[in-house]
Amino acid sequence: MTQKSSGFFNWINARLPIVNTYERHLSKHPVPKKVNFWYMFGALASVVLIIQIVSGIWLMFGYENTEEGAFASIEYIMRDIEYGWIIRYMHTTGASMFFAVVYLHMFRGLLYGSYHKPRELVWVFGMTIYLVMMAEGFLGYVLPYGQMSYWGAQVIISLFGAIPYIGESLEIWVRGDYYISGATISRFFALHVVALPLILIALVFMHLVALHEVGAGNPEGVDIEKHIDENGVPLDSVPFFPYKVLNALVAIGIFGIVFSIIMFFFPEGGGYMLELANFEEANPLSTPEHIAPVWYYSPYYAMLRAVPDKLGGLVVMGAAIAILFVVPWLDRSKAASIRYKGILSKIAMTIFIISWLMLAWLGTVPVTALRTTLSIIGTVIYFAFFLLMPIYTSIEKTKPVPERL
Amino acid sequence: MKKTLLLAFLFFGSMESMAAVGAPCGDYGECDTFKPELNNMESLQLGALTFINHCYGCHSLKYSRWGRVSEDLDIPEDIFIDNLVFGTNVKLGDRMMGSMKPAVSETWFGIAPPDLTLVTRLHGSDWVYSYLRTFYEDSSKPYGVNNMVYPGAAMPNALASLQGQQILSCKDIPIIASNGGVRRDEFGNDITEKKCGYLKTIEGSGSLSVQEFDEVIFNLVNFMTYIGEPSRSDRERMGWYAILFFVVFTSFAYLLFREYQKDYH
Repeated sequence: MTQKSSGFFNWINARLPIVNTYERHLSKHPVPKKVNFWYMFGALASVVLIIQIVSGIWLMFGYENTEEGAFASIEYIMRDIEYGWIIRYMHTTGASMFFAVVYLHMFRGLLYGSYHKPRELVWVFGMTIYLVMMAEGFLGYVLPYGQMSYWGAQVIISLFGAIPYIGESLEIWVRGDYYISGATISRFFALHVVALPLILIALVFMHLVALHEVGAGNPEGVDIEKHIDENGVPLDSVPFFPYKVLNALVAIGIFGIVFSIIMFFFPEGGGYMLELANFEEANPLSTPEHIAPVWYYSPYYAMLRAVPDKLGGLVVMGAAIAILFVVPWLDRSKAASIRYKGILSKIAMTIFIISWLMLAWLGTVPVTALRTTLSIIGTVIYFAFFLLMPIYTSIEKTKPVPERL
Repeated sequence: MKKTLLLAFLFFGSMESMAAVGAPCGDYGECDTFKPELNNMESLQLGALTFINHCYGCHSLKYSRWGRVSEDLDIPEDIFIDNLVFGTNVKLGDRMMGSMKPAVSETWFGIAPPDLTLVTRLHGSDWVYSYLRTFYEDSSKPYGVNNMVYPGAAMPNALASLQGQQILSCKDIPIIASNGGVRRDEFGNDITEKKCGYLKTIEGSGSLSVQEFDEVIFNLVNFMTYIGEPSRSDRERMGWYAILFFVVFTSFAYLLFREYQKDYH
């Protein structure tokens, strides 16, 4: 760097801590030297967030947030805007990939106990991000105003109606009308493109600030802060730049391949990402044969349907998400990582994965008696995994966690 | 762990087949497979011609524009206007709004014929390809025809002049024994049973042979697949470049990563 430019940076830095912040949070930020591929999904989630924001802005150029114009404006983007189809498929594929990487990121957290002391708040912020993402995804799905947008919204909004006393008024308040209409679309549009993205960005910021305060975890569950050099830098760490950036670039490259395959060759994702019924404009007079959510909500939808009572279903679904927030206080194990936990945790984790995948599948298919029974079993296992966690993590025998990474 | 997951998938897979819901193509069962040829310009052009001549009278393609079709299908503008665009006020930038007013058609058919721009995306090309070939004579219906894929369809067989009369007929079908072979009587003759519900075209009743008609429908559905997503062939072509880019990107990123990793390993 020349004398002149470093003078310029010094001038700036004396007034705005740009260099310090860059060094503290990016270039020199110490990260554990040994992590595996599970630790890449956080970086990928931020890449998808950027994809969603940029493609979303471009979509807004052509989208019309009215009852009459919404559906046609999507086709206008797909046909009349040059390369509009790339922008749209990027956004729809991005939505699914956002959930895919976030689910893998959350699973990593469960697997290696990323929520263990002192990272409880990192986990709580992360869960809040997930909650906002679910709302964001739902609102976005309504905007094209196809059949599934309409009827999906009908199902979800009617859940508010199940709340005692205030339910009915709340339902009307959310819709902005007595039925789903232009008023609903325009408010969902405002929430989808302004309100929730702002909250999401703020939460991601908090998630990262909290993470950088306590430092990233690792698959061994080793506390790298215990062994530091004379400058206070953990011995088992490497600076973020260039080491972890390169690590992330490889992950981004592989992710780009997967993303491109889906986006260019299977943009509908077999009807699980773009549901085929949504290629028909919303028609309040004709209910689709089979209303199913897109894949990333399906485990919760299966739980909702497992309970015969609407309010009960709502409570179960809400509790299924709420319970994730308190995981840091449910896990009493001395070891953070599954590698050093006991056999009970390993069995619980395996059953949990299987039942979660089963629920995900059940949420996408029509109901039969057998499937309802399976949904109930899956829901019970889901809750048992978390509610019994304080017991099985405290009675099992853990292996000793190594000192160094 | 992997084994358990695999077992779980197999388990759900087998349950899925047990709980099969209605067949995708109605009484016809499984739909016939349709493999679009979106770079076959001749097929797309012929399909467009069939659509305009036989379908466009009732069905619009309202999200599509005339000019885009002429451009994508390599049809010179003057030929396009002379042969495919009916009506004097139509400009190439206009959308293909159909020839019939929905209010009028609703009184004629009981239901306004739907716009077909996205029909292949909504039902799938397989479905449309099967649907158009499975009209059969049924005097109990208002238009004298019914459809196997979509029983009770409120649509006449618009292509009957080409296809001719198609009827439901019965056939003698050999009975398959439990060992997989054909069951025979003591003289060695195949034992058959009468089964009905087979489509049969009365020869000479239409202007085209069965094969020629299938070809017309292939071209038509090919065109309808194109119109459902006009950018699809571009998309699939560009996809390879995107993948290639990321493969090269990943390779270089990996080499660099490996080099730098030596610092701390």
